[in-house]
Amino acid sequence: MDALVILIPLLPLLAAAAIGGGHLFGILQGEARESVTGDIATFAITLSCLMALTLLGADLLDKNQGAFSVGQWLGSDTLNIRLNFITTGFNVRLAALFSLLLAIISRFSINYLHRETGFYRFFFILSLFAAAMLLLVLSGNAVGTFVGWEIAGLCSYLLIAYSYHRPVATQNATRVFITNRVGDAGFIVGIGLSYAWLDTVNWNALNAATGQLTIGEATGISLCFAIAAFAKSAQLPFTPWLARAMEGPTPSSAAFYGAVMVHSGVYLVCLLEPIFSQSPFAMAVLGLVGFVTAAYSFIVGQTQTDIKSSLTFATSAQLGLMFLECGLGFWQLASWHLCAHAIVRCGLILTAPSLMQHIKANADSQRRLPVWLYIASLQHFWLDQIIDWALVKPIRGLAHDLSYFDDHIIDRMMGVPTPALGTLSSLAQMEEEVIGAKLNNDTDEFARGSGLAGKLTEWAAALVHWFEDRFVLRGIGKDAIHFGRQLGHAANKFEQIILRPRYLVLFVCITFLVAF
Amino acid sequence: MKILSLIIALPLAGALAIGITRNVNLAKKLALVIAAIELLATLIVVQQFNASDSTFQFVEKQTWIPSLNIEYLVGVDGISVLFLPMTALLILIAIIASWHGAQPLSRLHFALLLVLEAATIGVFSALDLILFFLFWELTLPPIFFLIGLWGIGPKRRSAASKYTLFMLFGGVPLLLAIIILAINHATQTNGTLPHDLTFSFQTLLDTPLSDNLQSIVFLLLLMGFAVKAPLVPFHTWLPTVAMEGPTQMTALLTGLKLGVYGILRFAMPLAPSAAIEYSWILGIFGAITLIYGGLIALQQTNLRRLLAYASVSHVGLVIIGIASLNMPGIQGAIFQLFNFTLIASSLMLLAGFIQQRLGSTEILHMGGLAGVMPRLTCFYFLFALAGMGIPGTSGFPAELLLILGALLAHPSLGITALAGAVLSAAYMLSFTRYAFLGPVIQNNVRQSQDLRTRELALLCVPALLIISFGFFPNSVLNINQKTVEVWLARLLDQPALEGDDLASN
Repeated sequence: MDALVILIPLLPLLAAAAIGGGHLFGILQGEARESVTGDIATFAITLSCLMALTLLGADLLDKNQGAFSVGQWLGSDTLNIRLNFITTGFNVRLAALFSLLLAIISRFSINYLHRETGFYRFFFILSLFAAAMLLLVLSGNAVGTFVGWEIAGLCSYLLIAYSYHRPVATQNATRVFITNRVGDAGFIVGIGLSYAWLDTVNWNALNAATGQLTIGEATGISLCFAIAAFAKSAQLPFTPWLARAMEGPTPSSAAFYGAVMVHSGVYLVCLLEPIFSQSPFAMAVLGLVGFVTAAYSFIVGQTQTDIKSSLTFATSAQLGLMFLECGLGFWQLASWHLCAHAIVRCGLILTAPSLMQHIKANADSQRRLPVWLYIASLQHFWLDQIIDWALVKPIRGLAHDLSYFDDHIIDRMMGVPTPALGTLSSLAQMEEEVIGAKLNNDTDEFARGSGLAGKLTEWAAALVHWFEDRFVLRGIGKDAIHFGRQLGHAANKFEQIILRPRYLVLFVCITFLVAF
Repeated sequence: MKILSLIIALPLAGALAIGITRNVNLAKKLALVIAAIELLATLIVVQQFNASDSTFQFVEKQTWIPSLNIEYLVGVDGISVLFLPMTALLILIAIIASWHGAQPLSRLHFALLLVLEAATIGVFSALDLILFFLFWELTLPPIFFLIGLWGIGPKRRSAASKYTLFMLFGGVPLLLAIIILAINHATQTNGTLPHDLTFSFQTLLDTPLSDNLQSIVFLLLLMGFAVKAPLVPFHTWLPTVAMEGPTQMTALLTGLKLGVYGILRFAMPLAPSAAIEYSWILGIFGAITLIYGGLIALQQTNLRRLLAYASVSHVGLVIIGIASLNMPGIQGAIFQLFNFTLIASSLMLLAGFIQQRLGSTEILHMGGLAGVMPRLTCFYFLFALAGMGIPGTSGFPAELLLILGALLAHPSLGITALAGAVLSAAYMLSFTRYAFLGPVIQNNVRQSQDLRTRELALLCVPALLIISFGFFPNSVLNINQKTVEVWLARLLDQPALEGDDLASN
C-alpha cells in the first residue's frame, strides 16, 4: 500500500503541468476548453483524494510500513536527501482531509470562475497548490516539506495577484510573499541546524534522535521551525499578511487561508512534537505567541465590517489557540482542533459570497470596545505601519543611499569618467564607415591622457599643481580656509548620515554577524 | 581523440570562413551551423566524460614556445566540463536571438561571436597558465567591438572602452601572479631561469610555495578575477555594459562567469594554504557583494540595470559558497554558477525582447505587460523564480546546498546568504509588480506582440533545463562529485596546515 503515496502529490502536479503547458502553447484556450481544464484538475485532485483515503484505510488496518522511499534526490558528502514519504498516522489523516477539501473547492471553482479571464491560470495554480500541500504533509524529510511549503507560498502569491491589473492586489501579493520568505529563511536555518547537529533531515530520524540534543540545541532547532510556522500560520508579528491575502478569488481564499495552507504551521509544530517537548523555552514561546495572536485577532475582529476580513481574523485567532494548545502540551487536542477548524472554515469561506444575498440587512456594528481599543483595533494595532517603519523604510533608504554611493562614488573612483573616451576615435570612425556618413571629426581625442595609467598621471599632476598653487605659492590664504570649511561641511554631512538609525542598526547587525 | 582542439579551432575556422563569404545571410547561416555543431561537439565531450575519474581528461599536449617551456595544454575535469556546452548553448542562443533583430548586423558581428566562443571555451579548458592568459585576454577584442559597434545605448563606445580598460587592469595582477608562480617553480627545483620555468597547471600544483608567496599569489589572482567576476567594488562596468551593450551580448557577459571559475580553478588550488587562511576575506567579500548588489537592485528602475546588479549579487552568493570550503558549499557554488549562467542570460534575453518591442526596458515605459504578453511574462516568472531559488527550479537545490554549506562553515555567512535570498525576492518581485503586473499605462505596450514562435522555442531550451535540473539535481552533481572531493582534499589536507594545528594545540 505504501507505494500509493507517490501518486498522491504526483497526480495534481501532472494536472498542473498539463494545464500550464496546454495554456502556454495555446492548446487550452477560450470558453470551449474550460470544462476540459476544470475536469483535469478536479479529476486529478479527486483521484489523489481517493488514494489518500485508501492509504488512510490501509493505515487504520495496520497495513502500512510507515515510510516509503523512492530514491535519492540530492546527495553531497554526508548530506543525503531522499524523496521519501511518511505513510502512517497524523500525516495520512491530514493528507486525506486536505485532499478532500481541495477536491470540493476545485469542483466549486468550476462554476464560480466560469468565463473569468484567468480561468486556466486559476486551475493551474490550484493543481500546483494541491500537489505542494500534499507533498508538504506527506514528505518524510524536512527538505520535501520545505519544497511543498515554498511552492504553496508561491501559489498563494500568484493567486493574490490573480487580478494583476489592480495595483492593490499586486502590492499585497508582493508583501505577503516577502513576509513569508522571512519565515522560509527560519525553515532553512532549522534544516541546517538539524543537519549540523543530528546529521539527518528525515523527520522520523530527527524525532527519534532528540535524546542526543542538549536543551540549548533543541531550543535552537525548535525556534527556527517555530519562526517558519508563525509566518505561515499568520501568528504575530506576521499576522497582517493574512488580511492582505484576501485579494484572491473566494475559492482560493478558502483553500489557502481558510482550510489548508494556514494550517501548515500548526502541522509543522505538531510534527516536531518531540523536539519542542525537549525545550521548555520554545514551548513557552509557542504558547505566548499563540495567546497574544488569539487576543489580538479577537480585538481586531470586533471592528471588521466585511465578511471576508472578519473570517480572516477568526482564522488567525483559532490558529493562535492551536499554538497555545501546543505550547501547553495538548498536542492531540491541537491536531484535532486543526482538522475540525479546517472543515468549518472551508465551509464558511465558500459560503461567504452567497451570504450577502441571504442576509438582508447588515447587523449594526455595535461598538462594544473602549474607544482607544476600538481605534487600535480599526488600525490593526498599527502592525503594518510599524513593520513599514522599522524594516521596509530603512531598507529602502539604505538601498537609495547605496545606489547613490555606487553611481557617484564607486563608479567615479573605479570608472573611466572622461567623456573623451566616449568618442574613442577608432570605433567612431569605424561606425561612420559602416553607416557611410563622413562626420569628419577632426579633433582626435586619443592624444589626451586616456587609460587608467594615463588618467592617474594626469590627476596626480593636477593635484600636485593645485597643491603647489594653493598652498605653496599663495600661502595659507582665503582659499585654504574656504576649502577647510567645505571639508568640515562634508565631514558633518557624513556624520549626520552615518548617525541615522538605519546605519546604526546596520552596524549593530554587522557586529552581531561578525561576533557570531 | 583531439576533440578539445577541434572545439576551440572550429569557431575560429568558422570566423575565417565568414570573412570569405560576401553575403550577410550566408554568414548568418554559416554561424548558426557552426554554433550548432559546436554545441553537439561539447555535448559529446560531456557524454564521454568519465565522472568517476577526478583527473583531467581529453588532455592534449603540444610544445608551443620551447624556450620558455610554454605548452599548448588543454583538458577538462568535473569542474570545467559543464561550462563547455553552456558556452556553446549561450552563443547559439545569442545568434538565434539576433536573427531577425532590428539592428543591421554584419558579417563581422557573427565572426566576432564565433571568435568569442573559441576564446571562452579556451579559457575553460586551458591548463597552461600562459595559454589560459592568452585566451583570457583574447575574449576582450570581440567583446570590445561587439559592444562598441552594436550597442543599443548612446554611450556604447564609452562602455566598450570602460569594459576593456577594467579587464586590462584585471589582467595585470593575473600575469604578475603567473610569472611569480613560474619563477618560484624554477627556484624550487634549483634550475636556471628561462629553462626551468613552467606554466603547466598540473606541475605548478605540485610545486611547493612559501607562505608569503602564497598570500601574494592568492591576493593577486583574487584581484584579477574579482574584476571579471565582478565583486564589489570592481563591478561598475557591468551595469554600464548592460545599459549600453546589445542585449544578446549582455546576456553572454552576465551569463559567462569566467571570474568565479578562475577563482575556483586557479586562485584557490595554486595557493592552498593562503586560500584557507584568507577564506574569510573571500567570504566577507562575497557577503558584501551579495547584500550590496541586492540593495542597489532594489532601487533600479530599468530591467537591464536591475539584472546587472542581480547578477553581481548572485556572484556574491557563489563566492560565499566557495568560501565555506566544504562539499555542500562548493558543489552548491558550482551548481549555482551553472544555474545563474542559464538564468541571468535568459532573463537578459527576455529584456532584449522587451527592448525590441517597446524600445526601452525602463519601468515607466512598461507596466501591465502580463496582460499583453502572457507568454513572455510566464517565462519571465519562471526565470525570476529560479533566480530566487524556488523549489521545482534548479535554483533550489543549488541554493539549498550552498546555504547549508555556508551555515555549517560560518553561520553568519549562512544567515547573510539567507538575507540575500529574501532580498532577491524583494527586488525581483517589486520590479515585477510595476513592470509586468498592474494596469497598462503606455499605448505602445497595448499594441505590442507576444513572443513569436521562434522566441518561444528559444526560451523553452533554458526553461526545460532549469526545470529538469530542479527535479534531478544529482545529474549535475554526480559529474563534479569526484573532482570536488579531490579539489577539497588538496586544500584541506595540507601537511603545513596540520603542522599549524598541532602547534596551536
